[in-house]
Amino acid sequence: MPSNDYRIFEHPADIGISVRGRSWEEAFAKAARGLFSLIVDCTTVESNERKEVRLEGSDREQLFVRWLSELLYFYDGEKFVVSDVEVQTATSSTLAATVTGERWDVAKHSAKLDVKAITYHELKFVEHPDGIVEITFVVDI
Amino acid sequence: MLRKIGEYRYVVPKSFRAGMNIEGLIYADDELVKAIEKDQTMMQVANVATLPGLVGRSLAMPDAHQGYGFAIGGVAASDLKTGVVSAGGVGFDINCGVRLLASPFRLEQVQKQLDPLLNQMFRDIPCGTGKSGIIGNLSYDELEKVLEEGAHWAVKSGYGFAADLDHIEETGRIAGANPAKVSQRAKQRGRDQLGTLGSGNHFAEIQYVAEVFDAETAKAFGLWMDQIVVLIHTGSRGLGHQVCTDYLDIMQLGMKKYGIQIVDRQLACVPVSSQEGQDYLAAMGAAANFAFANRQMISHWVREAFHRVMGEGRLNVVYDVAHNIAKIEEHKIDGGRRNVLVHRKGATRAFPRHRPDIPKDYFEVGQPVLIPGSMGTCSYVLVGTEQAMEETFGSTCHGAGRAKSRHAAKKEITADRLISDLKAKGIHVRGASKSGLTEENPNAYKDVSLVVDVVHNAGISRKVAKLVPIGVIKG
Repeated sequence: MPSNDYRIFEHPADIGISVRGRSWEEAFAKAARGLFSLIVDCTTVESNERKEVRLEGSDREQLFVRWLSELLYFYDGEKFVVSDVEVQTATSSTLAATVTGERWDVAKHSAKLDVKAITYHELKFVEHPDGIVEITFVVDI
Repeated sequence: MLRKIGEYRYVVPKSFRAGMNIEGLIYADDELVKAIEKDQTMMQVANVATLPGLVGRSLAMPDAHQGYGFAIGGVAASDLKTGVVSAGGVGFDINCGVRLLASPFRLEQVQKQLDPLLNQMFRDIPCGTGKSGIIGNLSYDELEKVLEEGAHWAVKSGYGFAADLDHIEETGRIAGANPAKVSQRAKQRGRDQLGTLGSGNHFAEIQYVAEVFDAETAKAFGLWMDQIVVLIHTGSRGLGHQVCTDYLDIMQLGMKKYGIQIVDRQLACVPVSSQEGQDYLAAMGAAANFAFANRQMISHWVREAFHRVMGEGRLNVVYDVAHNIAKIEEHKIDGGRRNVLVHRKGATRAFPRHRPDIPKDYFEVGQPVLIPGSMGTCSYVLVGTEQAMEETFGSTCHGAGRAKSRHAAKKEITADRLISDLKAKGIHVRGASKSGLTEENPNAYKDVSLVVDVVHNAGISRKVAKLVPIGVIKG
């Protein structure tokens, strides 16, 4: 994952991530990469398995939090660590994506931080006049 | 814009922001208020004050710092009929809390054996990121029992003694906890994490009683000068995080259903009396029980490590308190007494003597309050006071409170330097991760002694003893 996909910023207790994309799909994908860059050394993860993700939300904020919470659950609940994502659709209420990665292996992967959850705190979506979309969010660690 | 009252209280007036239904009140001295003014703590105290149906004031303790939605160090109480419950008002780490074990050993006895003892504890207590517990994947049936029975399940399963339970908030089992209200996902996240310390600011420390401020109360708590004690700080792990995530999501929809407007979506809330509100409290109770069981199991391994290295001698539970929880309690409201729902997010219950809900052993002195300091500094044992019942819904501070971001903390010092600096102070450290250690660099925190002095001088709890670490295990 190229690190210029996302920008990590400081928050007094937690960690914030900011991403920019040419579309909501691209920005949602970059947000996912940013999240996993906190959790694991991504260079140690291979794309051996695929998962299809379909989600709905009552608005874009909820959809976004559900999306990243889903990926966090893959890691902490199903022990599946994400190497990359492709977001096919991210409207204001529905998302379709393909997630690749592999089962967590303590001998192979290098864990970085325990991310507890995705928060709504300071969650911001900005659509710039040139069509670039920007997402800022904070995770609890 | 803060209005100072006396030396230790700052009022956030209703004029601070639009929509405040009640005032805010921040406990701090001139020094700590500077830190509080630097981040968004005041605004978050004011934001909480806009929630419907709160009673009294929106409070922040002297260790308060900016959180998400609620400030960490925040206390707010809701009317049971007109008020709301907020999952964000408890936070993701439900029943993150601390437990103090008192050993029969003196400082000099343990100092001779410190490294073997720390090594044994570090081997026996699973800690760090991505680590599973020793007991592996619990069956769902067994997990349901943990969620219903909390520390009682752990004792029945051979972790510790029945007498331990008397010295835990709510005896380590929250009434009304219902595993059926906990999602399959939360259970899946928790199954292999029971009996793990976790990472971040969680720790187990070997400490000694370095100062006694109140001899009579210390004696009642079973504490004496130069005594070795162990402080354990951990919570409900991934299970609690997922319960909060699930109910934040449910509450987003609930707010539309109940027509509640809020200023920060992380404050999402629903009426206490609603089905969603009642479901959350039942699930939160189950997650809190998981945390009580977790600390009970870790205590067992600490005891085993002591037994193996130090020989005979029982470690007694002094007390075990929650720092992140919402509870229905009776308080004085507008001249009368009634039940309200008290949210404590990074705050500790601090009940005075003669309250029916504190252990009979402490009935004449009051509830022990355990305040962990930052790594390598010191921790405190306080006792609850009547003043806290008058002002703070029986609540006080919970720790040092972070002053710098984790990133800034990490930049200040290398792990090797930190370990050698602490060793020079007589503190031996075992850490699962080097970067985890530097993020918890003590300079990243406020001075816990300043925080404790404020709550002591303001009268919302009273100093009993100061504990200084000699050994640290860090996740």
